[in-house]
Amino acid sequence: MLRRLALPLLGSVAAVAVASLLVYAFQPIAPTLSLGVVYVLAVLPIAVVWGARWSLPVAVASMLVFNWFFLPPVHTLTLRDSENWSALVAFSVTAVVVSELAARSRRRAADAEQRRREAALLAEIAGHLLGGGKLEDELVWIGGRAAEVLGVPRAEIELGRPHAQHGDAPTPLEVDGRAVGTIYTPVEANEHVAVRKRFLPALAALLAVAIDRRRLEREALEAETLRRSDLVKTALLRAVSHDLRSPLTSITTAIGALRNDELVFTAEDRRELLDTIAVDADRLARLVGDLLDLSRLEAGGAEPEPQVWQLDELVRDVVAELGASGRVELAGEHPLVNVDAVQIQRVLANLLENALRFSPAGSSVHVRITATRREAIVRVVDQGPGVEEAMLDRVFEPFYRGEQRSGAGLGLAIARGFAEANGGRVWAESRPGQGATFALALPVVEAPVELVS
Amino acid sequence: MSERGQRILVVDDEPQILRALGTTLRGAGYTVDTAATAEAALAAAAAQPPAAVILDLVLPDGSGTDVCRELRTWTDAPVIVLSAVGEEHQKIEALDAGADDYVTKPFSVEELLARLRAVLRRLAPEAGPVLEVGNLRVDVAERLVTRNGERIKLTPHEFDLLRVLAQNRGKLLTHRTLLREVWGPAYGDEAHYLHVYVSHLRSKIERDPSKPQIVLTEPGAGYRLVDPEAS
Repeated sequence: MLRRLALPLLGSVAAVAVASLLVYAFQPIAPTLSLGVVYVLAVLPIAVVWGARWSLPVAVASMLVFNWFFLPPVHTLTLRDSENWSALVAFSVTAVVVSELAARSRRRAADAEQRRREAALLAEIAGHLLGGGKLEDELVWIGGRAAEVLGVPRAEIELGRPHAQHGDAPTPLEVDGRAVGTIYTPVEANEHVAVRKRFLPALAALLAVAIDRRRLEREALEAETLRRSDLVKTALLRAVSHDLRSPLTSITTAIGALRNDELVFTAEDRRELLDTIAVDADRLARLVGDLLDLSRLEAGGAEPEPQVWQLDELVRDVVAELGASGRVELAGEHPLVNVDAVQIQRVLANLLENALRFSPAGSSVHVRITATRREAIVRVVDQGPGVEEAMLDRVFEPFYRGEQRSGAGLGLAIARGFAEANGGRVWAESRPGQGATFALALPVVEAPVELVS
Repeated sequence: MSERGQRILVVDDEPQILRALGTTLRGAGYTVDTAATAEAALAAAAAQPPAAVILDLVLPDGSGTDVCRELRTWTDAPVIVLSAVGEEHQKIEALDAGADDYVTKPFSVEELLARLRAVLRRLAPEAGPVLEVGNLRVDVAERLVTRNGERIKLTPHEFDLLRVLAQNRGKLLTHRTLLREVWGPAYGDEAHYLHVYVSHLRSKIERDPSKPQIVLTEPGAGYRLVDPEAS
């Protein structure tokens, strides 16, 4: 308080003193009366810095000091000439006008600074809101920054209408009558009311845009997800109905033929028809099994029961089971993996069957096992026609069949499902004309302690 | 039973279906050729002209419709297409391209054999000046229709509709074929015309128009005229 008075007081006295010294210095070379203008130099800075409250007294003091020390009769306060009066009026007018101008420009500058901060903050908020972060997190940050601009110690923004539970005073954020949210601020005496009126609607508009944007994004995502799952379902149904119908047609045809008394069959014909029924009944059973596996995998129902196995032994078992020992060459390391043996053998069987199906007769399929510290990789390399690069991922989609027409196109999809359920992954590497490589990677386990020591 | 040894060409890309159908047809006394692709089908048909073709709509190297169109450029051998639910559009295309009939997979052996016998019976459209359908008498030259000697009055379009159906007795005629034959080549997509005229025609020639016995509807495909006494 003292400081707030002392500084202008000292300044004012100093200003008058300096002006007086100047007048004293110039007295020998200029007419005394004309030197009165020097006191404007005292009034001006005081008016600019501290306003009319101080510059008016300085004007009066200047006039008195000028009168007392320099105007004849010296050392009296008698105003002999009308010039003295006009000097006083000039000082006073200067003091008031300059003070007012300075004050106004100070206010303008402060106002401009405030608006600049608001605009900068709004731009910053817009950037954050468009950034796509979580809206709730952004609101915390926006609240903190809004408090600075509003001149309150804290501000909290919530989506939704005002409620009484919050300790601070609520102000609804609205855009064209639409309630966007509520800002809660403590009641403060020196809060900037004009700022609040200007800033809050802009903030509300930004929030409304952000909320709408998030809603639209969510809706678009939902629509896209729905559309895709619809497409998948349609493709699935089409493929399933084709794959079920073909064996069904040959079965019903063969049964219809066998039951028709008007048709004449040799013993060989009968066996042929019965074979057809048996083969296609198997095909149907396998397809239904595959479909069940796939739907279990998609529903996350294929819970693996992992145990530690030596990967190359799993491969050897599968090769033997497929009766393909003569066509498969196995080489490489012997890493340990912690997997569900039934599921991983299913993966290996599907990869091997796929490779065997595409290999030219007489060529063999190479299986190579490599291991790093983290992963064991089985590569199944065939000498078939290969897979186009664009199709390398698609081959793992359910019902993708490529050029081949045998099989339902489920094997690789199931392989991927079981591999992923066991913490692994499958992928294809290939160049057309150079054969394809299908790889399975599984996390390796450290050898059990008793084996290491 | 079939005329012994008539040659049937069976075209399907599923080896198992080909095998079952081949054995079945042989058991019914036909001589059977099989083909698994469109190309093989056309080659087989050219090498040994078949009496009839049983043709799957989806082939690895083309559609059954294309095969049908190609065959029609040089043979009138009847074609029965094997279609599946979901292939309705292709089925109609094949019929428009000259196929005579269709069966839907999975079909019964009896149904297929009956259709095959039917298409083999009528190798050419009936062309005489007077067609008999049950107790109906259709005089093509005089444009007169009588039932038991009693005249039935038909509009010109109704008459033409009946005539085209009767001349292709037993054969499934698609909406497009009927519209073109009756209304002219500029027509083809106005199936609703056809439904209206068929219902008018039925009300004049059927005993119970709500349970037609002569002009039968093949849902989604077209119409077929059958002899009420023959079936």
